[in-house]
Amino acid sequence: MGTEMPFLVLALPTLAFIILALVPQLRRSGKPAAYLVIISSAASLWAAVKLLVNQLSLGDEVQSEFLIRWLPNGGDSLTDVGWLIDGTSAPMLVVVGLVALCVQVYSLGYLDEESPEGLGRYFTWHALFVFSMQSLVLAPNLLQLFMGWELVGLCSYLLIGFWWQKPEAARASVKAFWVTKAADGGLLLGLIILMGATGGTGWNPEGISSGTLNAITLLLFVGVMGKSAQMPLHIWLPDAMQGPTPVSALLHAATMVAAGVFLIVRGWPLFEVSSLTLSVMLWVGCITAFCAAVFALLQDDVKKMLAFSTCSQLGYMIAALGAGGMAAGYFHLTTHAFFKALLFLGAGSLIHAVGTNSMSKMGGLAKKMPFTFVLFTMGSLALAGIFPFAGFYSKDLVLETLEHGHHTIPLVLAMGGVVVTATYVGKSLTLIFFGSNNSPDAHPHEGPITMLVPMALLGSLTLGAGFLLLKPFQSLLGNDDAVFHFTTLGYIGLGLAVLGLAVGNWVAKGGSVKALKPMGDFILSSPLDRLYVTIWRRVLLAGGKGMAWVDRYLVDGAMNALGWLFVILGNKAKTIQTSRVDNYATTVVAGAAAICLSSIVLWTLFVGAV
Amino acid sequence: MAGLEMWLYLSALLFAIGLYGVITRRSAVALLLSIELMVNAVNINFAAFGWSRGDYTGQMIALFAVALTVAEVAVGLAILIQLSRTHKSTELNVATELK
Repeated sequence: MGTEMPFLVLALPTLAFIILALVPQLRRSGKPAAYLVIISSAASLWAAVKLLVNQLSLGDEVQSEFLIRWLPNGGDSLTDVGWLIDGTSAPMLVVVGLVALCVQVYSLGYLDEESPEGLGRYFTWHALFVFSMQSLVLAPNLLQLFMGWELVGLCSYLLIGFWWQKPEAARASVKAFWVTKAADGGLLLGLIILMGATGGTGWNPEGISSGTLNAITLLLFVGVMGKSAQMPLHIWLPDAMQGPTPVSALLHAATMVAAGVFLIVRGWPLFEVSSLTLSVMLWVGCITAFCAAVFALLQDDVKKMLAFSTCSQLGYMIAALGAGGMAAGYFHLTTHAFFKALLFLGAGSLIHAVGTNSMSKMGGLAKKMPFTFVLFTMGSLALAGIFPFAGFYSKDLVLETLEHGHHTIPLVLAMGGVVVTATYVGKSLTLIFFGSNNSPDAHPHEGPITMLVPMALLGSLTLGAGFLLLKPFQSLLGNDDAVFHFTTLGYIGLGLAVLGLAVGNWVAKGGSVKALKPMGDFILSSPLDRLYVTIWRRVLLAGGKGMAWVDRYLVDGAMNALGWLFVILGNKAKTIQTSRVDNYATTVVAGAAAICLSSIVLWTLFVGAV
Repeated sequence: MAGLEMWLYLSALLFAIGLYGVITRRSAVALLLSIELMVNAVNINFAAFGWSRGDYTGQMIALFAVALTVAEVAVGLAILIQLSRTHKSTELNVATELK
């Protein structure tokens, strides 16, 4: 296939963004702007699907590579920009395009009461996001990936703060920006070391010593921890739920936070041979998977629960990658994108209907919202890892990878995570859909058709992605490790999940929810935040003040002293300016005479007599 | 026919008179006249040396120098007119603003 399709994938959202940015009348008109963005996303998705279909026949070969030299420097150039379409980027393109389209259509219904100006702004950022994320996915080297990475970070900031009039939303957006930017410092440093070591920004580890390689990948992983909300840098993700729910579905569940995992998959040749980084990833991933699941169990706010659940699931992906299972991690990313986006859209549907985020204030919604009930339950069961939903397949692959590498303690943590995950899933299902309704809105109802169709589409993927997509996935990645066995481990995982669901049901019915609430509030009040703030104030700001003192009194002081010295000398020297022309003339004559005399004397001394 | 020395003595005399005038006189007009004397002393030197060497280079340079002096005097007179307009005097001691 030529260059048209990849170009279309990138150019259509860009075009929509530029039009909306330059034509305020269209942007402020609301709905037409939304239609423009949705059409561009749909066309972009169509191009992405064609690319994926073509890629399926090629396996893991490179389908299309297009490079333009960037910042040329003599015969050499700093890097290339362009795109690389192979078995790694093609599936991600479709995942991003599909979820983005679903979320945009859903937003039409969800943000129905938004002002036209607000709606236009919202969809403008969405167009920018699709372009940024796709250019991240298509990046042929780490530098372009980094540029896309920062752009999606910007979109995240803008969309979390969409309701900037709310102080919490404004603070959450700034917090998300700061935390991810701090982590990106590591990514940037790793990139610079990589450029220094290889002279390029590709992911070929040839010629790098193993120590340097470990340093590079560890620094890159710091950036991944920020973006993919791994402990202890997960603190921004629960706050990010201040954004509109569809934004949480697209950015903070399905695609943007998975960019970190995608970076590792893309840079796999580098990570594969860095054993130290792999073990760090394994442990960080497993600990996050377990602890974030426990935090999710403690939450009463449905979105905060899903946010911690996203941290936890990203932990599974990172752990699988750390154990060497690239295909397993990537596959879990894909299935998670579908079922978590579905869960968030379902949660948005519930919030839209009852007007509260609190699960204990919902209840009995199964009969009133049967459509949302079925779809939300499907997503939940996929999250818990119940057969035959997509989550079961991918989670089983992760567990098998851990077992295959004989990582006993991480495996136990991951298994524990499965139980806790199923527990909070069971708890939330019971609280939301059964029992009695305590919501402020007594007559909950289903949303409009624009909200239901995207959910149905994601629901069908949640059901089918597991057994339909695994086989093509292996051929795309050229990776046979991820063969689905359905061994004893699969039954154990399934058993644990069912056990967890039962426990969750018991927790919800037994009234233990109230007992959990203080602990959940404690997690949200985030002792970790205060620790970071303390470090910031006590260490960084104090150090900065010290540096400022040195700058002001030593560096500037020396400069000022020099300046004053010359002011004093100048004041002395200016007394010879008398404004008397005859004085000046006398000085000139005296000078000329002195020069003549001294030349005569010198001539006599060194050359001979006059 | 007078020798080269005669011209050089004349030139030195003119130069010394001009120098004396530059140092002692306060009037801007006298200053300009003194400077002219000094310049022409130099011109005499050029012409005299050229004549004694038997080529025209020195006299050519003297001609160029005269042309340049005209331009210089024009600037000098313009300053002088401004001075007399602003200070109602051509005494140099009154102009102290640029001190």
